[in-house]
Amino acid sequence: MKPARILTWAAVAALLWLVRGMVLPVFLAAALAYLLSPAVVWADTLAIRRTVTVGALFAVIIAVMVVAGFLLGPGMLSEGAALMDRLPGLARQIDLGLDAAVRELAESAPAVRSLLPEGGGWVQGFVSDWGAAKPADLFEQVGHFFLLTILVPFFAFFLLRDMHRLIAAVMNRLPPQHVETSVAVWRELNGVIGRYIRGVVLDGLVVAALAALGLWAAGVPYPLLLGAFAGLANVVPFVGPLLSTVAAGLVVVLTPGQGLAGVLRVALLFLVIKVLDDTVIQPLTIGRSVHLHPALLLGSVVVGSHALGVLGMIIAVPVATVLQETVRLLLEHRRVLARHDRLVV
Amino acid sequence: MFEQPLPRWLAWAEDPEQARRTSFLARSPLFAGLPRRLLARLATRFFEKVYHPGDGVFEEGDPGRALFVVVEGEVEITRATPQGPYVLNTLGPGDAFGELALIDDFPRSATARVAASTHLLILYKSDFDALMEGNARIAVVVMRNLSRRLAIYARRNTMLATEQSRGSEAAGPL
Repeated sequence: MKPARILTWAAVAALLWLVRGMVLPVFLAAALAYLLSPAVVWADTLAIRRTVTVGALFAVIIAVMVVAGFLLGPGMLSEGAALMDRLPGLARQIDLGLDAAVRELAESAPAVRSLLPEGGGWVQGFVSDWGAAKPADLFEQVGHFFLLTILVPFFAFFLLRDMHRLIAAVMNRLPPQHVETSVAVWRELNGVIGRYIRGVVLDGLVVAALAALGLWAAGVPYPLLLGAFAGLANVVPFVGPLLSTVAAGLVVVLTPGQGLAGVLRVALLFLVIKVLDDTVIQPLTIGRSVHLHPALLLGSVVVGSHALGVLGMIIAVPVATVLQETVRLLLEHRRVLARHDRLVV
Repeated sequence: MFEQPLPRWLAWAEDPEQARRTSFLARSPLFAGLPRRLLARLATRFFEKVYHPGDGVFEEGDPGRALFVVVEGEVEITRATPQGPYVLNTLGPGDAFGELALIDDFPRSATARVAASTHLLILYKSDFDALMEGNARIAVVVMRNLSRRLAIYARRNTMLATEQSRGSEAAGPL
């Protein structure tokens, strides 16, 4: 490799390292842009300027969010406040249950006593640590959140408005003999990612609505919060639905008067939602955009979790799908070339 | 509903580039018969690239993945022969080539090279397929126009084969 090329790559790597804090906002902005792109493409068919389309789209989104905030906000805030008030008591109850279980296990199996954790009050400790976070840390976290809420729409606006110009500029700089094949691969991957992101968001919204309605009908407290959590967690395959079931189950266990029957009702509700999601909702929303084998799906989630935590678990499926599609397209390319060689020979 | 362009009071919001592309595609024989609404939808799927004289668009044997429409300039379609490249056709503004890539993934049967500074519109098969899924009329109209072109090529080839005197190859779809 030529020294100039090595230096260029080193400079690019250094630049990426310097702007690594922008990875999350840019990733979320790209996801938002993919989500909104069908509306922009539809407006393109009317030959409306992108600036007008994207500006109008953002104005509509802000209006919808304000209305949704007015309609759902007070309910979610009151549920959140009530949960925060009850949190110390809930933590104490969970710790009592855990202590009893550990004691019982130690008495019934003395051989494993040394393996069991010492002490108690784990959940209370976690809650008090979390509550006693330094004001500076809290301020930093709130600052990051507000920065994200400003940067993500800002980047998404410009991605939606100027992406076609950027693509045209890149295409005009690509070597002409590679334009057909390389851009064709990108177009296929772009289609897969777009369909996946739009499908996942729609799927999450439907699951959130179903969970909230079901929990409300079952008389479980905090249905809006738990429904929203179920919708968000649904983005993570396997682990997400399990986490939302456990969260709702814990709330039921710690609610007086619900009992084991309440836990069973919640487990049955989430099982029905999961079956509906797999058989009806996902085929309609995500459709055929993702064809990952279940083993590859699970493996990608585990690797994503190890590499980047929760963000890694969320992006694991689209990344694995893109890799799988790239390999498939390369193999197809080789097959076509081999077919030509056979025809020529 | 959207057969007409934007009303006059919304003229300030019109994207001239998109309007120009839609009008241009309306004149291409490959898209003849498509209503303006579907032409506009099709136009959003095209990419545009500038080629310089001597640039290769694709080579004989390359996998076909896109259709090209000449907006400006000149493209030569050649096929390799033992005596050297044989010019099958020279295409100008409005002409389309590489159309068989929209039907199958067979390798290109000829080479396309730019003879003068040229603007090409490019439609990738994956975009065309995605568009057809939601618009059966686009599929019907474009495939009918493609079939007509194939029929013309087939008749021309049959005539040449029966004559067999010129010994030259017929220009055909790529």
